[in-house]
Amino acid sequence: ISEAEEQNALDLNLIKEFGRRELVDSLNAISGAKTLVLDPSLVGPLGLLTEVSLLKHHGVSKIFWLEASPLAAPTTAIIYLTRPTIGHIKAIANHIKQHSATSPPSKHLYYVLLVPRSSVLVKKIFEDEGVLGDVNLSTFEMGFIPLEDDLLSLERDSAFKEIWMNGDETVIYDSAQALVKLQRAYGLFPRILGKGDEAARLINLVTRLSPSSSPTAPLSSDKIDSLIVIDRKVDMITPMLTQLTYEGLIDELIGIKNSYVEVPASLLAQPTAPNSSQAGSSASGPSSTPLSSEKKKKHHLTAVNDTLFAEIRDLNFSAVPRKLQKAAHRLDEEYKNRLQSKSIAQIKEFVGRIGGIKADHQALNLHTGLSELIAPLTRTTIFDKSLEIQQNLLASYDPSGQITAIEDLIAQGAPLHLVIRLITLASLTTGSLKQKTLESLKREILQAHGYTHLPLLISLSSPSLSMILPNPLPSSYLKEMPNHQAPPKFPFTSARKSLRLFFEDLGDGGGGSGGGPVPSETVEGEPDISYVYSVWAPMSVRLVQCVAQKGAVLAPLNTPAPPGAWGDSATGGGAGGTTGGKKEKIRAHPIVGWKGFEDIVGNIPGETVDIVQLPSGASQGANGGSSGLHSLAQRDSLTTTTIVFFLGGCTFAEIAALRWMTKQSKGRRYVIATTGIISGRSLIESLGSINS
Amino acid sequence: LAFEESSRMTDPGARITGVTAAQKFFSEDKERAFEAKMVDEQNKLLVFQQQLEKETDGQIKFFGLSVNETIKVCLLNGMAKRAEKIRADFKVPDKRFWYTKLHALTQMRDFEGLDAF
Repeated sequence: ISEAEEQNALDLNLIKEFGRRELVDSLNAISGAKTLVLDPSLVGPLGLLTEVSLLKHHGVSKIFWLEASPLAAPTTAIIYLTRPTIGHIKAIANHIKQHSATSPPSKHLYYVLLVPRSSVLVKKIFEDEGVLGDVNLSTFEMGFIPLEDDLLSLERDSAFKEIWMNGDETVIYDSAQALVKLQRAYGLFPRILGKGDEAARLINLVTRLSPSSSPTAPLSSDKIDSLIVIDRKVDMITPMLTQLTYEGLIDELIGIKNSYVEVPASLLAQPTAPNSSQAGSSASGPSSTPLSSEKKKKHHLTAVNDTLFAEIRDLNFSAVPRKLQKAAHRLDEEYKNRLQSKSIAQIKEFVGRIGGIKADHQALNLHTGLSELIAPLTRTTIFDKSLEIQQNLLASYDPSGQITAIEDLIAQGAPLHLVIRLITLASLTTGSLKQKTLESLKREILQAHGYTHLPLLISLSSPSLSMILPNPLPSSYLKEMPNHQAPPKFPFTSARKSLRLFFEDLGDGGGGSGGGPVPSETVEGEPDISYVYSVWAPMSVRLVQCVAQKGAVLAPLNTPAPPGAWGDSATGGGAGGTTGGKKEKIRAHPIVGWKGFEDIVGNIPGETVDIVQLPSGASQGANGGSSGLHSLAQRDSLTTTTIVFFLGGCTFAEIAALRWMTKQSKGRRYVIATTGIISGRSLIESLGSINS
Repeated sequence: LAFEESSRMTDPGARITGVTAAQKFFSEDKERAFEAKMVDEQNKLLVFQQQLEKETDGQIKFFGLSVNETIKVCLLNGMAKRAEKIRADFKVPDKRFWYTKLHALTQMRDFEGLDAF
């Protein structure tokens, strides 16, 4: 990204600063030394926001986990920082009761900070437990946490489950609040687009919560050109697939939590390196358990300090070894240079760089180690087979054969989440599964993995999720639909065609391609976003392209666009004006809504939204119009940012695809915001967990 | 759901009653025939596992395992007949049974058994 583009880029650190200041303010509001009691699920996100030292600086003397066991706090003031879940609130109430039951009753002042906000239910529980008078309730609105310089997350891991399985809409409300907070920081989103019923609900909330009615209403943002909300339900196929980017695979196979990954400690052991402080730092800062007891160490995976990671995280895994090799060569050269350096000036220069080289060396060590961990996992029969099934299903190649293949996998003892993902995929791509096949599949699963998973299977085929549908549909299903009619089937084949979701490599016939990630020919310029899943372009991201990069949906960027497709008719910039094989960056066209794709997008279930937001002063139109023109004229020189919000979580591969889009177009940057980062595995596991 | 409740119970007796209760709920709903059947099967399995535990004098834990795991534990402990019985009772398809057996034999390092395959 050139400097000119940088200047108008969004500084997401602002958000981090906001969150940090708010936390400090609420800590400072309580005088004296205090004990902080943390909800374990908040530790990860908080660790991204602040450090223990900062907390200590503001009078926190001890930090505990929030647990049901009795609490012995040395200070008078106790601060609880927790999400408003019933279990946690009850635990707090118990602490208070225990303290007053001891003789002499220990005197404490209780402060409960609820993240992100309080609820009537919380008060009710405290009241029922008879301790409402003893606690001071307040809230800590955490909002978005920047994970990378282009990635914001609410870190709500179970958002998908809460919305679509439990019908709990708090996440939607919280997302809306967080988005409104963004508006407060950067100005009103000039345009909001969305796809999906829940996305529509969210947008509705955002517009209602927007402070546009107040006199201090923010002006339209000149940095952000639009907000695009994609609801996870719209594209259930993508998370069911195995991600094939480096970061995605790490998440699939090892697991990334709050952007920390657990790796064997040996990979990180490089204590002599001067820059090791960041790499070796552990995530569990405030934990009281000794770190040495765990064999595995947590590593903060981020591109901020790790340039090598920035290079490889979004690559298809098949391309990663080559990149690592290159990096190794480069380092080798650097070291050789040292031997060759003769003059004092040269040596001095080298010494100056040594810190950077050491850090690079360490990063290389880590990523080679990680790839070594992953590579054998990608070579197992089950992994290969599941990829093959996925790709065949996406190509609609011999669906019944794939069902048999899935049965084989169950028989071989493939992990539960994998099997369920494949069945879901089969159900989504073919529309539904025959009742009989489905029942035998379910039976296989229950026998192989235990009957305790029956509730999971039931909820997967419930109307609100409808991830697995039998054919014919049971009548109770229809009863729950608004007009007693079968919901519109997901038009997989037509969507696949019109959105070019399935991208077949030349010479790599779609059907039998399977077996391992298809290596892409070019490492540098992937021709299309579909590289992140080898053959599949994430539909969610394609929808974003429908709004912001129309040319890419119509034709692969490296082939000339069909004449008159989107050329000059769209904008002065010309989205379709791709020039042959040359990798000339295409000027991003202004956001004009779903224009050109209304039919296609309309065919996909879920509401479609397109709203233009005007600042209150400009609501008369004249002003708004002129400012619109003004910004349009400016666009040639400025970079705008499009925020893409995934309601219900997104995968690393989708993030990679959006980053690819940032690289492709000049004048527009994408910032990804999400309720949390998911993988098919975490998604299924969250749905399957019985408690909470 | 009574079913979820039952899965949390650790006491064998209570668990079976819980599962039976769940089965009743499912069977009341015509469309849950499949689920009712499954829960019924689970019940059968639990009872069978109890019986197995009795046979082995409580030496080996069976209760609450899945069908596959039960077969595997049976094989690991030289109770091949029992494993065959489960296979018949629960209509375990050949494919899955043989894979399970294969895994069990490898785990035991029973190369003669593997050879006899």
